[in-house]
Amino acid sequence: MTGRLALGAVGVAAAVWGVVMLSDDGTSRLVNVAVWLVGGVVLHDAVLAPTVVLLGVAAAHWLPRSRRSLVAVAFLIWGTVTVGAANVLLDVGGKPDNDSLMNRPYVVSWLVLTGVLVVMVLVASAVAARRRTGRNA
Amino acid sequence: MALPDLVAQVERRLPHPDDFTSPARGPRTTARLGLALGVAFGICFLTGMWSHYQYSMPGWLPIGPNPSWLYRVTQGVHVISGTAAIPLLLVKLWSVYPRLFLRPPREIRALALDGLERASIAVLVASGIFQLATGVLNIAQWYPWEFSFRRTHEAVAWIAIGSILVHVAVKLPVIREALVGRADDGESEASDGPSRRAVLLGAGAASGLAVLLTAGQTVPFLRKVSVLGVRDGDGPQDLPVNRTARAAGAREAAQDPSFVLEVRHGAKVVSLTRAQLAELPQRTHRLPIACVEGWSRNATWTGVAIHDLLALVDAPADSTVKVRSMQTRGAFGTSELPGDFVSDPRTLLALELNGEVLDLDHGYPCRIIAPNRPGVMQTKWVRNLEVVA
Repeated sequence: MTGRLALGAVGVAAAVWGVVMLSDDGTSRLVNVAVWLVGGVVLHDAVLAPTVVLLGVAAAHWLPRSRRSLVAVAFLIWGTVTVGAANVLLDVGGKPDNDSLMNRPYVVSWLVLTGVLVVMVLVASAVAARRRTGRNA
Repeated sequence: MALPDLVAQVERRLPHPDDFTSPARGPRTTARLGLALGVAFGICFLTGMWSHYQYSMPGWLPIGPNPSWLYRVTQGVHVISGTAAIPLLLVKLWSVYPRLFLRPPREIRALALDGLERASIAVLVASGIFQLATGVLNIAQWYPWEFSFRRTHEAVAWIAIGSILVHVAVKLPVIREALVGRADDGESEASDGPSRRAVLLGAGAASGLAVLLTAGQTVPFLRKVSVLGVRDGDGPQDLPVNRTARAAGAREAAQDPSFVLEVRHGAKVVSLTRAQLAELPQRTHRLPIACVEGWSRNATWTGVAIHDLLALVDAPADSTVKVRSMQTRGAFGTSELPGDFVSDPRTLLALELNGEVLDLDHGYPCRIIAPNRPGVMQTKWVRNLEVVA
């Protein structure tokens, strides 16, 4: 228990130090930081997570039971990699006079990645289906 | 409608934790993801603080020029572990999302504790997402905010690491039970949807894939694989550019044929044209440019050692030197080379890059290149060197 209290105390101290560092900034900048802090949580909790939940409900409704697992894991990989690459896919950032930055065909690569994952799911579920019919025969 | 009635109505419509049926969720999933995420954020924190330290380097513990690749590795690892953390964080949030809908307890003491814990988790999630989002956008040089990236990313790093420690302290019994406990909690065998093992393997695969698809900006053999990286490692003279001469407002001054470099030591001043610089003894070294944005690349540099220039104004070879650029826009128009960098023969005023006259965007007519320094301190378009100590 003492160890946990000490760990918690160190954590609180570090976080307070962070707030102190922030408070050097002016009010309007602080408001802007707060908007970004809260905005990330809202974007996740109220937009991204419910979307994933609804997709899960739809998958449970439409997909045959045997394929759900495979599709869910493929979606996990595709979705999280896509979120991480959102800025290059939406082409935000870079500088017009600097072609050593943001200089790749990102959307094409992402479509290829998407296609590869779809093919992998199709092949894996075909293999699984054949195995099942083999067992039943 | 009275407020309590409205609250009751909304409450009836919100889902309950039991409405989420995936058996892959649960402490055993969350604790394993949390462990990986804790390691990733821990590495980000330490390497990030190292970089901030290197930027502001106080005298009490100077970082020297050796090994020349150190900053390249620490900052490359910083961005790689941040990238790896994105899928882990998303899956970890998925694994605990139903708990957002737990109804608060009615008993007042329990309610206070519950509120406190929720507040600490809100800080944890907010600061975690903030760090990853601002980091990703900084790499792409997109700043759609009003605050200073560097200072805010540093301050929120302390908040993030602090709230992680608080979270671990609060959850330690649950984590211990989840990681080492053998009790079958019935969450592992799924008949419907992915199993816990499948979700964990998927999260690991996604994290690894996110790294493979971006790490080529600093890991040479991944350059062709990293198709989602913001840099492919190419640029003028086979080296990426962080800020162009145009963006720095240095185009005119840098191309002025009457350019002279001024080397100053107290009252003694020597002025050298580029041709005179080229006649001094030249040295060639292979050194990386390593940017805070996590990209790095080795290059071959040729130029005059800074301490050879100091000899012309009778300054000791281990003096501290202030470097001034011709740039008129943006930060880091000056830098300071501490004595142990100046006395290192690899610290050059470079005139050539990869066997060619330095490209304008790489700092023509001359630039600093030193081992083990953040890219922004490798000052380009140098006009003045002054011995300050």
